[in-house]
Amino acid sequence: MKERDSPLASRTELSEFLASVERRAFKQACFAVRDEEHALDIVQDSMMKLSEKYGDKPSAEFPMLFQRILQNTIRDFYRRQKVRSIWTTLLSTLSIGRENEESDPLESMAIEDHTSLGETPYAQLNRDQVLELIEEELKKLPPRQREAFLLRYWEELDVAETAAAMGCSQGSVKTHCSRATHTLAAALRSKGLEL
Amino acid sequence: MNENHTGFRIRQHLNRGLVLKNDTLEGLKAGRMRALERQRAEVRVDVLAWVGNVSGYFGAPQSLLQRFVLPVTVLVVGILAINTWQQTQAVQEIEEIDAAVLTGDLPIDAYLDNGFDAWLKHSSR
Repeated sequence: MKERDSPLASRTELSEFLASVERRAFKQACFAVRDEEHALDIVQDSMMKLSEKYGDKPSAEFPMLFQRILQNTIRDFYRRQKVRSIWTTLLSTLSIGRENEESDPLESMAIEDHTSLGETPYAQLNRDQVLELIEEELKKLPPRQREAFLLRYWEELDVAETAAAMGCSQGSVKTHCSRATHTLAAALRSKGLEL
Repeated sequence: MNENHTGFRIRQHLNRGLVLKNDTLEGLKAGRMRALERQRAEVRVDVLAWVGNVSGYFGAPQSLLQRFVLPVTVLVVGILAINTWQQTQAVQEIEEIDAAVLTGDLPIDAYLDNGFDAWLKHSSR
């Protein structure tokens, strides 16, 4: 039998890929859903889907496929949360008649207060504080911008791969990345941090 | 502002944040192991391997099989089929002529044909 141009992934290759990507995937999920338990579930679910459905693909395709699965799993989580919130709000309203609360997890992400870090001079920030600052600013980005930024600059996918993983055009990826980068840089600069 | 430079610097910071709690690392490892246990097998490879094994079963004299036995078999079967078909055709033609003679349906040209007349007399003896 002839050998293929792009050899199929072995169990070892899949294992190595998952081991190399799982921590970043977990942090990505944490930025998105802001809950470590849910983030862990999302990553485990994504690894399972990749292995079950695409475990026979060439290993070179794993990064894009896994990121696509991860982002879709995060979006599924958003949808479930939203439905759950609607039902909870509805039932609460019916039972005790209180005012409707904000139920969209996407919108609730952008209202956290980080003023405690705002007054810290750059000279006094150690690495952990800088990291915390960056992570908090990442969480505040709109989901699509954060997704594009992390795929391009953290996962080091190219524009085409990022577009494929996000299910959008390459132009949209560039726009999301540009806006995310400007927003992050401006936010960090306002906290006294120059990159 | 250079977008790539900003992205690169943020990436450096983010990579420093990849030190996770032991519980989380164990959870990730467990998820990875479960996923590996259910890795999709390559069906196409299995099928091709099966085909290869079957041909390998007959495969010791593979060149002889492919170059001599199969063509000769096809040729012999073809010759037998053609011979059978021709015999069937000849019998059918004779049956048609006999039927025409018995029922008087022969065309008038048949009675003007000396060869047919001679054959008729000869066969009626």
